[in-house]
Amino acid sequence: MNNERSMLSRLYPTTKFMITIALCLAAFIVPGYGFSYAVLPICMVLAYFAGSFKEFSNLAIKALLMIVVFIFILQSFFYPGHDILWSWGIFSIKREGVEFALFLTSKIVAVASAFILFFRITKVKDLVHSLEQIGLPSKVTYVILSTLQLIPEMKKLTLVIMDAQKTRGVETEGKLLVRMKAFLPTLSPLILGSVASTEERVLTLESRAFSANVKKSSIYTLEKTKYDRLVQILLIVLLAILIVWRVAL
Amino acid sequence: MGIKRGLKYDFSLLAILLIPIGIAINFVGAQIILLLKLPIYLNTIGTILTAMIGGPWVGMVTGASTNLVVGITNPVSFAFTPVQMAVGLVVGLLAMKGMYTKLWKVILASMAVVLTVLIVASPIQVLMFGGATGNSSDAVVATFLASGQQIWTAVFSTKILVESVDKIISNVIAFVIVMKMSPRYLSKLNYGAIFIKKK
Repeated sequence: MNNERSMLSRLYPTTKFMITIALCLAAFIVPGYGFSYAVLPICMVLAYFAGSFKEFSNLAIKALLMIVVFIFILQSFFYPGHDILWSWGIFSIKREGVEFALFLTSKIVAVASAFILFFRITKVKDLVHSLEQIGLPSKVTYVILSTLQLIPEMKKLTLVIMDAQKTRGVETEGKLLVRMKAFLPTLSPLILGSVASTEERVLTLESRAFSANVKKSSIYTLEKTKYDRLVQILLIVLLAILIVWRVAL
Repeated sequence: MGIKRGLKYDFSLLAILLIPIGIAINFVGAQIILLLKLPIYLNTIGTILTAMIGGPWVGMVTGASTNLVVGITNPVSFAFTPVQMAVGLVVGLLAMKGMYTKLWKVILASMAVVLTVLIVASPIQVLMFGGATGNSSDAVVATFLASGQQIWTAVFSTKILVESVDKIISNVIAFVIVMKMSPRYLSKLNYGAIFIKKK
């Protein structure tokens, strides 16, 4: 089990991305909503083997529950249809609406869970490295990496600024208008500070030859293993079988 | 001011470094809203800000990347990527035309941004998600539907209602902050010269 767990996480990022794409395609190839919903448990099992079951389930529920519920409410009550299943006053649930909602949500659940899985089992560092190998300019990969570092940093800074402003007498709790007024004193020092820091960052990067037009070496390496080949071939064969089965049907 | 000066000109290193900051501002703006428990989103301030001082293309990239980063934890936002991109583009173009130099002009410009969001976001919302977004604004859509409107008009009405408040506030905040920036910094940016106050 331990061996298997590391195997899934050890796959090359592009292979992992192929798994995601294959799951999405399969959800659209197989008719009906049964299989598309089944993508979520499939991803859960895969996440379990990669050792991130809890994170995956938490994120999937947070991201999907609200939108699925709302789609069901909107579609089942307001989709034009005649076959009434249940009614209360002027509201009525129609069969056509429920079917449409099932169709729509199943596809959304399938695609979304496949992508959540990808980002749970792939380290951003690995992803960025493989993108660089494909030939993406280092400016693009720098933006991706530094964004992901900057967000938690700035979130922390926000709390510090809020505390600082509180000690200076800015009210952050109370009526709506009071809380509204606190927004700008919190945001503007944060933005002005971080925007000003870009100037220093330019100097730092340029002193390390960031825009120099030469091939750079990387201290971080990522190897493709024989399993990558195996998984890729397996996925393509499975998809081909699905398509043939669908056409023959 | 010429519009066509090439992407290389727009994406100077200083402008590229603005992109992560813009994305982070989008995030943090939304987080402060949560902390202060305000009933709006304000998740486009960073896009607007970078589009103003970095130009339309930098704004567009900031908008697109924001949704891609949000998509890491909530893939629903992948679908709404064109909305943020359009906001960045429109704000950048309007700023180049000098629409972000006075408060009344900013409010006019926000109306144009609202219109853009309306045109880009509504088809995505209706065709891909059947009118829902997973946000609290879905309740408004449901209310409009319950009052007997069609799905398109319901989504349009909700968007006009929610977005105009949201976008006017975001635009005005971005405007106020850019006006506070030092001329020394603005002069280094390709599109910053418009915002330097004449004395």
